[in-house]
Amino acid sequence: MAAERRTFPILAPGLPRAVIGAAIGAAIGAAGAIGLNGEAGQILGLGYLFALVGFLLGIGAFRFWLTWAIGREVDVHEEHAAHGTAGDWRRYFRFTTDHKVIGVQYLVTAFVLFLVAGTAAMFMRVELAQPGLLTDKDTYNTFMSTHGAMMITVALVSIIGGLGNYLVPIMIGTRDMAFPKANALSYWMLPLPVLLVAINPLLGGFDSGWTAYPPLSQQANLGQQAYLMAFVTVGASSILSAANFLVTVFRMRAPGMSLMRMPIFVWALTVTATLALVATSVVAAAFTMLLFDRLLGTSFFRPSRGGDAILFQHLFWFYSHPAVYIMAVPGLGAILEIVPVFARKPLFAYPLAVLSFIMIGVLSFMVWAHHMFVSGMAEFFHIPIMLTTELISVPTGVVFLTALGTIWMGRLHFKTPMLWVFGFLWAFVIGGITGVYLADVPTDIVLSDTFFVVAHFHYTIVGGTIFGLFAGTYYWFPKITGRMYDERLGKIHFWWFTIAFNATFLPMFWLGIEGMRRRVADYPPEFGPVNLFVSFAAFNIALSVAVFVYNMVRSWRRGEKAAANPWNAQGLEWQVSSPPPIENFGDIPTVTDTPYQYGSPHLPAPVSGPPAPAPGAAGLRPKP
Amino acid sequence: MTSHASGDHAILAGATEDPVEARRNMLLGVKLGILSEVMLFGALFVAYFVVRADSPSWPPTGLERPELLLPGLNTILLVSSSVTMQLGVASVMRNDRRRLLRWMGATLLLGTIFVGIQGYEFATNGFGLKDGVFGSTFYTLTGFHGAHVLVGLIFIAIVANRARRGLISAERHTAVEAASYYWHFVDGVWLFLFTTLYVL
Amino acid sequence: MTPRRHLLTAAAAWLVLSAVSMAVVAGVQILPEIASREAEVEDAAFVLLTVVSMPVLWFVVVGLAYSALRFRAPAGDVEDGPPVHGHRGFQAGWLVVTFLLVIGLFVYGAVGLLEIRGAQSADFEVHVRAEQWKWHYTYPDGLTSADLHLPLGRRVHLVLESDDVIHSLWLPALGVKQDAVPGRVTQAYTTPTLAGIYGGRCAELCGFGHTGMTTTVEIEDQASLDAWLQQEEAEPSSGS
Ligand code: HEA
Ligand code: HEA
Ligand code: CUA
Ligand SMILES: [Cu+2]
Repeated sequence: MAAERRTFPILAPGLPRAVIGAAIGAAIGAAGAIGLNGEAGQILGLGYLFALVGFLLGIGAFRFWLTWAIGREVDVHEEHAAHGTAGDWRRYFRFTTDHKVIGVQYLVTAFVLFLVAGTAAMFMRVELAQPGLLTDKDTYNTFMSTHGAMMITVALVSIIGGLGNYLVPIMIGTRDMAFPKANALSYWMLPLPVLLVAINPLLGGFDSGWTAYPPLSQQANLGQQAYLMAFVTVGASSILSAANFLVTVFRMRAPGMSLMRMPIFVWALTVTATLALVATSVVAAAFTMLLFDRLLGTSFFRPSRGGDAILFQHLFWFYSHPAVYIMAVPGLGAILEIVPVFARKPLFAYPLAVLSFIMIGVLSFMVWAHHMFVSGMAEFFHIPIMLTTELISVPTGVVFLTALGTIWMGRLHFKTPMLWVFGFLWAFVIGGITGVYLADVPTDIVLSDTFFVVAHFHYTIVGGTIFGLFAGTYYWFPKITGRMYDERLGKIHFWWFTIAFNATFLPMFWLGIEGMRRRVADYPPEFGPVNLFVSFAAFNIALSVAVFVYNMVRSWRRGEKAAANPWNAQGLEWQVSSPPPIENFGDIPTVTDTPYQYGSPHLPAPVSGPPAPAPGAAGLRPKP
Repeated sequence: MTSHASGDHAILAGATEDPVEARRNMLLGVKLGILSEVMLFGALFVAYFVVRADSPSWPPTGLERPELLLPGLNTILLVSSSVTMQLGVASVMRNDRRRLLRWMGATLLLGTIFVGIQGYEFATNGFGLKDGVFGSTFYTLTGFHGAHVLVGLIFIAIVANRARRGLISAERHTAVEAASYYWHFVDGVWLFLFTTLYVL
Repeated sequence: MTPRRHLLTAAAAWLVLSAVSMAVVAGVQILPEIASREAEVEDAAFVLLTVVSMPVLWFVVVGLAYSALRFRAPAGDVEDGPPVHGHRGFQAGWLVVTFLLVIGLFVYGAVGLLEIRGAQSADFEVHVRAEQWKWHYTYPDGLTSADLHLPLGRRVHLVLESDDVIHSLWLPALGVKQDAVPGRVTQAYTTPTLAGIYGGRCAELCGFGHTGMTTTVEIEDQASLDAWLQQEEAEPSSGS
């Protein structure tokens, strides 16, 4: 069988076959819908569904399960081959089951998506640079919605999918995720929906914003439908990967790695995965009902036929508020993981930090209606939701206590990751405090749907996720690539990005208070100068990101070789080589404590088993 | 032998080679998946209750709910199929492959009749998907459930086929148990559906 | 320096910065235009939140800045910091203080909310109907106009409906923002306190014409409002 495949490489599982599969699937689906006299929307819907299946079949996502389903034994060699071999770059373009490969796939995909969505933001800033219109309003709305939808995806998958996949199994001392094939499947479910969102302008664009409120989203054109379908697919992928994370964390920890010895980053991702698992199917249901309204003539959200438009908002936010913590908590975890290393002190109040992550997760299910204070929802929601929303500041505040407590009296090394930690704390406290303004009904009446909200969520998402992502990417870059990044370029990136970011989004608070609405292509002339300044600053963000991309690409190819533990850190991931061997560990180590035992030099590292390698050359210890 | 031992489990649960561990991983995974499905149906039920509360009368004037006879029969069928499924699990624990096959066959049969009756009902109801929120919620909820029944049936059929081929034994029966969890869940959803859509 | 000295120095910096900035913001009007009782409440909420935010913000900023300046490790340093894993007092104190702050903010916000939306009594009712992309206002006597005229000093009840998609009536000077939802009736209240002509706009994305969906509101005393209503009755100037 394998021999046959070799003669027709195009038929072997892989990207070429996936593309062909997607094309065939799209053709079958579309033909079927046309045969059934479908409208354009139904043709697109069925075509997409079959294309997705064709793509996954083509990439080989189902081959093992299918073999199993027809009652055969799976070829063990093929299963091993799917795991990939070290040093083979082609495994990144295949259905590879190694969690490290999948992590890199996620990470790179997320950064590419970030660049695309950021470029859309640049178009928006061009339009908004001056009052008066350059393009028409629909084009603006399409850019705005596409930017939002893609960036949300970036924020949802980058840290947990990228860094999480790569690091969690190593950090808890195991060889892979619990379900490696499901893991690869959740990655390969992403390319097609992402592509679909990217090409939505060809389908007429979508102008409802990422929130897609009906009835507007019921009138809008095919691009809108593309977005809804894509979102449901991404949701399914994230449910799958969340379940995988939870099983891995709860069942596969190394001996001695009790829950309260887990790295805080793993804790953060555990909470995140729980949120994703529980909340995502609610939004999937809401979007499916919306799709049915559009395609099958149901009337869930059609007021003219007894439906309820506010119901959609409740269901949407019941997911999308927890979703903002799905974005932020991994970032919080990442920076808390990094702080002790560069402050050379144990993580301050570790148990309290764990508890507060859990509390954030619990509370985040009770606050969704704060996005609906002016929506006309039932009046009795306002006061309790205001209370729960403001209460969430308390566990979130604990993160600041922990970070500041760790930094205080430490011996701070301002390597690039640590700079991003400081930037993170500054940005996130501003985002958080302005969130409290929005949580307060009297002020939210003024601020809802203005640029104040836009500023708030860029401070929280960029501050919470993107700063965390950069911090983590620099910090773990040596582990993942086996090479050091360029410290000088990293610092340039940090300062340029941080200054430009603040210059872009701080003025937006003022714009919002003064009355500039969000989601408009044009505004009164008095806001002109400030917007021009904002646009100028926004372009600087893009330039600084270019520095980052250059640094990453160049260092990956010819950076200085990294030692196993360049930061002299204590986590398990630093006790293996850089990059880690394909099975992560020779012998699974035994863990004796949290990885935050700094300042107790007489104690050995909190791990036994394979001996910790000598302190690295490029890191904190002086070069020999 | 070793390839056998890993076969059933490694395909379901991956990274770990130890079959006992793999089994527990798999079952935890199934439970988590069911949790997320519970939320899915929860959202659909919330939608149902909200539009129903919005509506001046239920069912809206001019529409009627289906008769209770067939859905009642369906309830009996599905509940008994849960029982037969569980008896199948009990048989495999005792390593009694013949009984296992028999019970799984019974489950398949009951489930298939359920789907048939459901299909008949869909075809003969006096209202359609497009009949306002009543039709929307009725068909979306029962349709989602029906799709789950179908998936469950296919899964059970696959497992039964593997059992027939002698790939399932008292030591390796994770798939049977996973199928039973899923099937009980589908059954439970139906009980909710039956009470809210048809009776209350 | 001893740990205690560090703490005192930083605390002093924090106190001074907080006190100064709180004093500065306490007297400021934050909303650009205030022409109703509700807008006053909202502005007061703004001021209070800003006052409370200052110490929180400075706490983090001073903590970060002080550490960056004073705890930087010398080049080539290989020492670790002190092995402190936590401090019960600080942890408990932090929890209690943030919790109390939050409860305080909540109580103040709830009182403001009740003032804005609570007392459902009003003596002037205007029906607002939104469609893509226009507003229509209907007065108690059945007259309909395209811009809004409201009496000074009376509590106005706005009853909103929409024909097509969700819109949101935003009258910044009057402290009103309320969605108009198809298939539902929503409410807003306002008590104009300052005569004048103010702008208004649609605040919920409603499609192509959303950007241009603006309106004006004129606040005048009862006599001139009556006069305007009478004149409109005789020869409508706009609207339908
Ligand atoms: C990562 C993402 C993220 C995060 C973490 C948050 C965090 C918070 N958000 Fe935000 N939010 C968004 C992303 C996020 N938000 C997005 C995307 C939207 C817009 C969606 C859309 O419409 O498109 C939004 C919109 C939004 C609204 C709706 C506005 C409107 O449309 O009218 C509200 C209202 O309550 C709100 C509140 C909050 C609050 C109270 C927090 C809190 O969790 C913040 C808590 C943190 C702190 C408070 C700081 C640290 C705490 C201390 C130092 C302790 C002491 C503090 C005090 C005593 C105050 N957010
Ligand atoms: C992760 C989340 C995220 C991130 C990182 C960003 C990043 C940015 N956002 Fe975005 N934004 C959202 C999430 C995010 N946004 C969401 C959810 C909305 C709401 C949408 C809605 O209302 O529905 C929104 C809305 C939004 C608006 C409001 C639109 C409106 O309401 O009318 C604006 C306006 O200025 C804006 C601007 C920006 C800018 C300038 C950046 C910058 O930080 C971007 C940085 C720039 C780049 C990353 C550029 C790429 C780099 C290059 C081009 C370098 C060269 C290329 C190579 C080397 C290959 N965003
Ligand atoms: Cu009407 Cu926006
Ligand atoms: Cu929220």
